[in-house]
Amino acid sequence: MLTRKRIEDAAKSCVIAAGTTFRKDQNIAYRGAIEKEKNRNARWALEKIVENAKIAEEKGYPLCDDTGIPHVFVEVGDEVGLPKGWLTSIHTGVAQGLRLMPGRPMAVRGDAIERVEQSRGLFNDPGKVLPAPMIVKPVKGDKLKISVLLLGGGPEIRARTYRVFHRRSMETVLSEAASWVASEMNNLGCTPCVVAIGIGRTHMEASALMLEAMKEGNLTRQSEWEKKVTALVNATKVGPLGLGGGLTSLGTFIKIGPLRASGVRIVSVRPCCCFEPRRAAVVLRAE
Amino acid sequence: MKRLSGKKGWAGEKIVKLVTPIDDAEIRKLKVGDRIEIEGVIYCGRDAVLPKLVAYLQRNEIQKLNVNLKGAVIFHTAVSIAGIGPTTSNKVEIEGSIPALSAGGVKVHLGKGALSQKTMEELQRYNSVFAITPPVTALFTDKIITKRVVAFKQEGMEALYEVRVKGLPAIIAIAHGKSIFGSGGEKGTKHVDKKTY
Repeated sequence: MLTRKRIEDAAKSCVIAAGTTFRKDQNIAYRGAIEKEKNRNARWALEKIVENAKIAEEKGYPLCDDTGIPHVFVEVGDEVGLPKGWLTSIHTGVAQGLRLMPGRPMAVRGDAIERVEQSRGLFNDPGKVLPAPMIVKPVKGDKLKISVLLLGGGPEIRARTYRVFHRRSMETVLSEAASWVASEMNNLGCTPCVVAIGIGRTHMEASALMLEAMKEGNLTRQSEWEKKVTALVNATKVGPLGLGGGLTSLGTFIKIGPLRASGVRIVSVRPCCCFEPRRAAVVLRAE
Repeated sequence: MKRLSGKKGWAGEKIVKLVTPIDDAEIRKLKVGDRIEIEGVIYCGRDAVLPKLVAYLQRNEIQKLNVNLKGAVIFHTAVSIAGIGPTTSNKVEIEGSIPALSAGGVKVHLGKGALSQKTMEELQRYNSVFAITPPVTALFTDKIITKRVVAFKQEGMEALYEVRVKGLPAIIAIAHGKSIFGSGGEKGTKHVDKKTY
């Protein structure tokens, strides 16, 4: 059986890794983009983003001061033995990770109304930034996989979950989703983005699928549909930091869930910022 | 302001060094697309405190805050243990504060995102500029020498901070009625022929 300590430590290390390091596919995508970029201002912004990632990794600094809201995705093997309180251990580990990284202390104090109005100020403890409700999914085997994603505020302003009348056409669904993202690019500020899309039956499910797309996507392995969405967003010519050039989106991650008999698909779209998806995962197996 | 003829950026471009406080003559020399590095004391604030700062200016009470806005740089950022990084400058409270703060002496507003045509005109009126920088917090952390709260401490990370920096990188996005942002934005920014800079 796994121990609570191992689960806590895994969640803690995921938070720190997600907030301070670029993945291999991100490094490859940025290096390729810099080589191709002809707009000198856009290239400057891309070079600064890469320089930032290098310093963050070397010194253990956060990539971005908006260290984000932790979102935890847990895949539980059918044969894995879990200790009592294992979900609490994930919360504890996330809080420890936020304190160590350190995360930005941005949790709002007070009762429901006071929190909305932000009238009682903020907690000084970054560990008070609670994770969003966890997604737990059953899988085969004897492993527990904990993935942590850190979702920044800028993309949340620009994200959307809405219905699309699909007309039995993938092209229709994705063109509409891409047009939502394209319309937001000029105001995002933190381009180049990565477009995350979830397609499901309900708003909750579409959002969860969008998060799963962020958890699994790889910038070096893009499907034809993902490339099409990226091309539509790049056609805006907004470019890195809004400076123009050919690279507004580094790539697209799409996840499609079970669907229902209907003329409508619920689509969740999030233009992730230039450091996102900030994610890390740990796989645990009983010793 | 000093133009560092020998210093080159990563892309081989010249970098203009701006030392605070910055005077009007220095601002007049700046062009859209200029790479800059800021040195000296800057102020950091965003949605929560910039409207408050404007209210003090409008009541002619800014001296009560022990803040000197003449020739100042205001970076649209929170300041926390996680570091600093630009928030979107076209949020209502931030963009809405730019004209009054420019009138009050602020020369460089530093953030990210496009601004409206109206704000561009107000910047031009007061000979102030808007610079942008990527949210490169780790790189900024390396450039911070000191930081301290100067006003509105109750706002926590959104308080008004005074931060001493060395070599904070940015690019001039709006100056003298011209913008680096292309046409087609919701904010109605003016298209600038990129061949001109």
